[in-house]
Amino acid sequence: MKLYISEGNPHCIKALAALELTGVKCEIEVISHEEKVVPHITHPVSPVLLLPSGQHLFSPNSICQYLYDISGQPATDATNQWLEWEATNLQPAVLQSLHMVALQGKRVEAAAVMKEHLNWLEQSLSKRNTAFLTAEEMSVADVVLWAALYPLLSDAGVEAGELVRGWFQRVGVLSACQTAAQTVLRGKGAEALKTFLQKHTAAHTQRRDSPTN
Amino acid sequence: MCRIGFRCIKMALRELSSLERFLGLKKPNKYSTQGGKKVPVLQNNNGPALIGLVTIASHLVHEAKRPELLGNSAEQRAIVQQWLEHRVTRLDNCSKEEVKVILKELNQYLEDKVYLAGNVFTLADILMYYGIHHIVVELAVQEKELYLNVTRWFDHIQHYPGIRNHLPPVVVLRNRVYPSSHH
Repeated sequence: MKLYISEGNPHCIKALAALELTGVKCEIEVISHEEKVVPHITHPVSPVLLLPSGQHLFSPNSICQYLYDISGQPATDATNQWLEWEATNLQPAVLQSLHMVALQGKRVEAAAVMKEHLNWLEQSLSKRNTAFLTAEEMSVADVVLWAALYPLLSDAGVEAGELVRGWFQRVGVLSACQTAAQTVLRGKGAEALKTFLQKHTAAHTQRRDSPTN
Repeated sequence: MCRIGFRCIKMALRELSSLERFLGLKKPNKYSTQGGKKVPVLQNNNGPALIGLVTIASHLVHEAKRPELLGNSAEQRAIVQQWLEHRVTRLDNCSKEEVKVILKELNQYLEDKVYLAGNVFTLADILMYYGIHHIVVELAVQEKELYLNVTRWFDHIQHYPGIRNHLPPVVVLRNRVYPSSHH
């Protein structure tokens, strides 16, 4: 099994943290932003997990879920729901917000983009009395959400409620999480994501604007 | 964000009830929607409500005691989950230009596979079929030939017993009309 990651790609934080937290043995290869490893995908993506069967996992959340699954922690309704929310709601806002912080220097606007989602998270945490999102123990949901929010909550000046901050610290204090963030961001915060964000935006604008050909 | 608003809401709820029928669940569930994106919500008598198409669909599969539809091994489960996520993140949001990329990639992926998870039929096939139906319906004959593996897979799924339910069948020609080389 092999995990392909690239530096300065925020999606790689969760995969690296999940790998370390589950203790799954796996080779890691650092690839450039241009390198393509999944045969059927036309643009470069990472992280990618090459499975023992030779198939590729190209969704960061599915990679994390797989690592937890083979470590005896299968998906539940609760983890599924957090992962789906992260992929459909949180992730688009995070990317928009990171773009504003790292490429445009618009910190106030970036914080505004995150507000609704951070409120939802605060509200969800207030409805339950557990240390983590789904239970007293950490699950794949905590890793995935923590990693998604890390570049914004760690130093980009995005404010979160008391419960979110408490939860964010409980997850972030683990050395597995710190190492993952350090490997991807090199201590440079959202700045480290510039190249990734430029390419990501370019690919998107191109796809949206290109005439039908 | 769903570009076609209302159609999407109705579709998500309709595909959940189609899935219930396929799974043979006797008592139909009660659904509502939430937020600007009108995400489906399943009201649950003995616990908190479940939110999200993929989450609810996976829950229904467990309720019907058909866990094999989510994959028989950890690898298969991950691949199924990946395609379910692909459905709600890429397919449901895509612009006209992105449709082409999605079809091209899916076509290449399906080149050596019968179903999305390989040789077994799973929930990924069902939800991708429901989500891509409105795109395949609009394809011209030439395009269906260009995305031959997608068309073959699509035809296979629409003929799978108990799947099609609320959707009209799409005619797929078994023989090529146009020569295979593209000029």
